[in-house]
Amino acid sequence: MLEVDHITFSYGPRRVLDDVTFDVAPGEIVALMGPNGAGKTTLLKVLACLLMQDLGRVRLDAVDPLLRPIKYRREIGYLSEHCPLYSEMTVEAYLTYRVRLKGERSMRVRRRVSEALELCGLTEVANSRVLLLSHGYRKRVGLADALIMHPKLLLLDDLLAGLDVGQRRKTAAVMAAASSRAAVVVSGHEVHEMLDWCTRFVVLNRGRLTAMYRASDYNRDQLARMLEQQMMPGADGETSP
Amino acid sequence: MTAIRVTWAREVKAFRGAFSCGVPVAAFLAACGWTFVMVLRRNEGSVLQIQSVWGLSVAPWLPILSAVLTMRLFAEERSTGMIDLLMSAPIRERDLVIGKFLSAMTVMAVTLALSLIVPTLVLPALSLPMQGTARAVAFAATFFILLLQASTWCAAGTMISVLFRNQAAAAVSSVVLCSGIPIVVYVAILTWIPSVRAEVAWMPLLVHVYDFSTGLFSTAVIALYGVTTVFFLFGCSKLLACLRLRG
Repeated sequence: MLEVDHITFSYGPRRVLDDVTFDVAPGEIVALMGPNGAGKTTLLKVLACLLMQDLGRVRLDAVDPLLRPIKYRREIGYLSEHCPLYSEMTVEAYLTYRVRLKGERSMRVRRRVSEALELCGLTEVANSRVLLLSHGYRKRVGLADALIMHPKLLLLDDLLAGLDVGQRRKTAAVMAAASSRAAVVVSGHEVHEMLDWCTRFVVLNRGRLTAMYRASDYNRDQLARMLEQQMMPGADGETSP
Repeated sequence: MTAIRVTWAREVKAFRGAFSCGVPVAAFLAACGWTFVMVLRRNEGSVLQIQSVWGLSVAPWLPILSAVLTMRLFAEERSTGMIDLLMSAPIRERDLVIGKFLSAMTVMAVTLALSLIVPTLVLPALSLPMQGTARAVAFAATFFILLLQASTWCAAGTMISVLFRNQAAAAVSSVVLCSGIPIVVYVAILTWIPSVRAEVAWMPLLVHVYDFSTGLFSTAVIALYGVTTVFFLFGCSKLLACLRLRG
């Protein structure tokens, strides 16, 4: 479904991504892990068409974002690391604006918005201003925005950062529901929570893909230990078959 | 078209509630009133049509109002990070640019219409009797050229706001480009070539307003403002696309 093929990206002379290659199948939840500055956010930005790679190719169902950007972007949902929103709008108005911006027909807008509000547990704050929401709720609004058009590929940057235990559980449930119809690439540092619902772990370090683990190939504790070891800055690793 | 309409609607709503809209518009109207009185006093005894006085008192403030209105269009999106969500949505950069530009133009058009109040308030206050009648067509022609000038300044301001995260820096740069550079060039020409002083007694930008207000239409002037507007909007959408190269 998603093919990431030898992606290289530099900010000026500093190489941030170096020959990163992996793929994601439908229904998979792939965790991008690594220490700070490993290149996770940059890779997600490349996948979300926010940055253009220097070398390599990305394809989603054979659609190249450089050749057919609108078609590619129609199939992705992106949650930014800092979860920016228009503070002056209500949650419902914001999601309505986003659905319309993404080109949904008028007759389906209300249904899309109510589905997303329900799925992300936002019904009770639908008429609240975004400005008044806590960080956790803002994140859920961002997640609702990413999910709202039923994209084939979900790109979620630092999804669990700043969420409390209850919100992390709810987010896990949303992820499980979303993965039934989309491939998910999610970045983060929360190894133990992500072990509950991620099917594969891709570890980046200094812009290089240093390890890849399939959750089903390892027992939970062993995998947690390996991931924690891999996430130490400067650690190198292996790639599982 | 949908993306343009949706972007326009959101931006107009954002303008309605923004501190960066109400205060500048009020200041603009006050400045227009002051300039209107000054133009009247300086031309005492001469024959000047009322729509010309109105046009000449509004035109110098347009670049400043445009800069303040357009500074937030992209600079705010960049500083809050919303630009990432806009750029990852399935819309073309040009639709985003046109939607935002049209929202600024909507506010400009409403403000220009409001500035028509200035003559109706100032003339009775100064107890100045008007000779003859004011024609609506003449005011419409003046309104048209002011709107054309505003479109160029707004397009330039929109383009400059893509370059900055800081709104104040965007506004200052926009004022320098739209107002500072033309004034400096005009003064420089008069200084270096004093012989042309008789031919260009007024800045060409003001001459355009005066000509239109007196019924002297020029397709070249209309084309000039149209082309510069399109140029700045094109530049804006290309700059936005360039953000994908290095973030």
